Amino acid sequence: MVTADKLDELQLEPEVPELDLSWLNLDTEWGVSAEPGRKGLTLQQINKSLYGDIPATSEDNSARPRGAAPPEGAAPRMTPWVLGDATETFSESAGLLYDEAVSRQWSSATDIPWDTMDELPEDIERAMAQLCTSLTEVEFIAGDVPGKWLPRIAADHFESGLFLMSQVMDEARHTDVFRKRALANGGGLLLQGGGGGLRQILEAEDFTQMSSMLHILGEGFVQSLFRLGELIAHNEAEKRIFRLAAQDESRHVAYGVTHLKYTLENDPEKAEEVHWTLDMFENSTVDPDQVNPGLAGALVYLLGDGDVDEGWRLFWHVRRKQVLEYLHRLDVAGLGGRLESGRLHPALAGALDES
Amino acid sequence: MPESDVVAAAKERLEQSGLPSNWLDIPVHWGVKAKEQATPENGGLRFEYLNVDIYGEVPEHWDNNTEIPRGAIPDTRTEQMGYSIFSKSEVWSDLCAGLYEDAIADRWNSSADIPWESLAPIGSDLERAVCQIATLISEYAWTKAQTTGRWLQEISYGYIEVKLFLGTVVFDGARLYEVWRKRALANGGGLGRGGRNWKFLPLTQSYTFSEFCVASVMHDAMLIALLRHGEQLAQTEAERKIYELCQKDIERHLAYFVDHMRYLMLREPERREEVHRYLNKAEWYLAKDGDDTLYSALGVIMGDGREGAEEAMADVAELRREQVETYLGYLRECHLGDREDRLNEELRKWAGIMPAEEVEKIPI
Repeated sequence: MVTADKLDELQLEPEVPELDLSWLNLDTEWGVSAEPGRKGLTLQQINKSLYGDIPATSEDNSARPRGAAPPEGAAPRMTPWVLGDATETFSESAGLLYDEAVSRQWSSATDIPWDTMDELPEDIERAMAQLCTSLTEVEFIAGDVPGKWLPRIAADHFESGLFLMSQVMDEARHTDVFRKRALANGGGLLLQGGGGGLRQILEAEDFTQMSSMLHILGEGFVQSLFRLGELIAHNEAEKRIFRLAAQDESRHVAYGVTHLKYTLENDPEKAEEVHWTLDMFENSTVDPDQVNPGLAGALVYLLGDGDVDEGWRLFWHVRRKQVLEYLHRLDVAGLGGRLESGRLHPALAGALDES
Repeated sequence: MPESDVVAAAKERLEQSGLPSNWLDIPVHWGVKAKEQATPENGGLRFEYLNVDIYGEVPEHWDNNTEIPRGAIPDTRTEQMGYSIFSKSEVWSDLCAGLYEDAIADRWNSSADIPWESLAPIGSDLERAVCQIATLISEYAWTKAQTTGRWLQEISYGYIEVKLFLGTVVFDGARLYEVWRKRALANGGGLGRGGRNWKFLPLTQSYTFSEFCVASVMHDAMLIALLRHGEQLAQTEAERKIYELCQKDIERHLAYFVDHMRYLMLREPERREEVHRYLNKAEWYLAKDGDDTLYSALGVIMGDGREGAEEAMADVAELRREQVETYLGYLRECHLGDREDRLNEELRKWAGIMPAEEVEKIPI
């Protein structure tokens, strides 16, 4: 009879794995090395030789890193479908933007001087809480979207994948920091935003269409607003939130612009598709049925510090800047002429006329 | 002017200008001031400190399919957003908020935080072996980040803490991918041979989040057991640091996956058999993959070159045994301690555990 305490003695020797050294004689590139530079060892510095050759088309839907030798034997498809054409997802700047994202991570817990938030008058606190309620919603969707697309990024175009992974992190932090602001100083979370076109970004089934909406128009408008955060903020904590979030948004916008540029240079026929997408999304952005009532009212109120007329004046200043910067981004991407051709939504074009 | 008059006056001014003012009408949970806990000793304003009053009430079932923040007032005009996870038991762990903040506090940068200058020629066999391991870890990292990311669009705002934490898992996955790619390309070796990676299908094919989590417990446990041998395997200070930093990240991921599975097993014990099915599948793919380049590369490193590899395979077998034991240890923490009796036969051989049918014959 074997007792329970004797069971350990029945432990067998672990099976020894078979030794296969065929991988020591691969036909991959030998002798490529990289030296760290001023910013350390960045992705740019390792993109050398064949490892830096980015295929225009990738037929590899596995997780194999670009430049690695293929496995021996059958390998499975890892995802149902992958965007193998570089024009679908690639950006010349993706690697650089990823490196920058890693080096500029910040903490909403410790990098915001929360102790600078004094008691605010109830109307101002409510307006700020409302603005932050709307912003945490927007940022929530902005994190879901890149997550949705990650499984479709080809490993051969990993720079775009890494960038989108960094965006997921940035948006988590934005969702978090605006929730924190709403709950930090007595205001609380207020009224939900009512959509405001967010679903159209989520439901897009083409990456470039999605990116035009999310990165260029949506985050572009948000970035322009955050860069004017000085006008909205009432203390050092809020100023820092807008400044740091704007820095993150700049990377997201830059990815969208450089991706669209790459796409249009290599697939100019895509231009009309993107124009059409922007027609639709601009309409959602200004459609009275979809406009976020809390966001608009609270923003005007904060801009004027309670003086609604002054708030309106500054609101149009912000909107004008948003539209001008949006048009400039499209120009840089190679999709200029929306204003001149009369294609820009009249409500946005009208913002340029405001004095 | 009394506070209520201030708000009434604000409302009037907005209405006169034709601006929406309904956001001033809603009942507010006035007075929640999370900033009061934000001291340096407390780690600043951590997410855990927000969970007070109604904002900390995490519902068993979340019934809103929009992006509404938990605790905000709904706007019934908002479209449905397509989320599919509305059950706390499917995703929850009490550790999420803390792990999210820990991940940010522990952030590191593969460009600047690894002493790359410590890399030096180590001989072609060893260099190839290090690069082979780097290639395989990169593949897992890519798969892990991609598959984790796809769950974000499924989880509703009711469980915001989970989504924030998963955001860090995605980002950690990116860094795990690129730091090993950098190691492979920094010292003359280059990338090795890709794996067959049938073993990752249980991650990519999972239909439920808990299926994904339990498959992640298996893969992360196998990886963490390897990373814990960093001191022994690292050839340079740079690699030592890579092993150390990656280990810390994977420990956090395991803390969540394990705590979530424990939560699920306690809340929904009737799902035990279902979870065992997922484990059957995950283990079967792992065992069947038959891709031994990882263990052969470890043999070359532990044997200090190809000549010593054959002899070193006994040590590699010991490491692989530790991997399986580590995995079973995490499953015990998940309240899945009965897994040892049902462990895949091939993994039993890896761990030196008697075949199940032999164990059954032993009179106890």
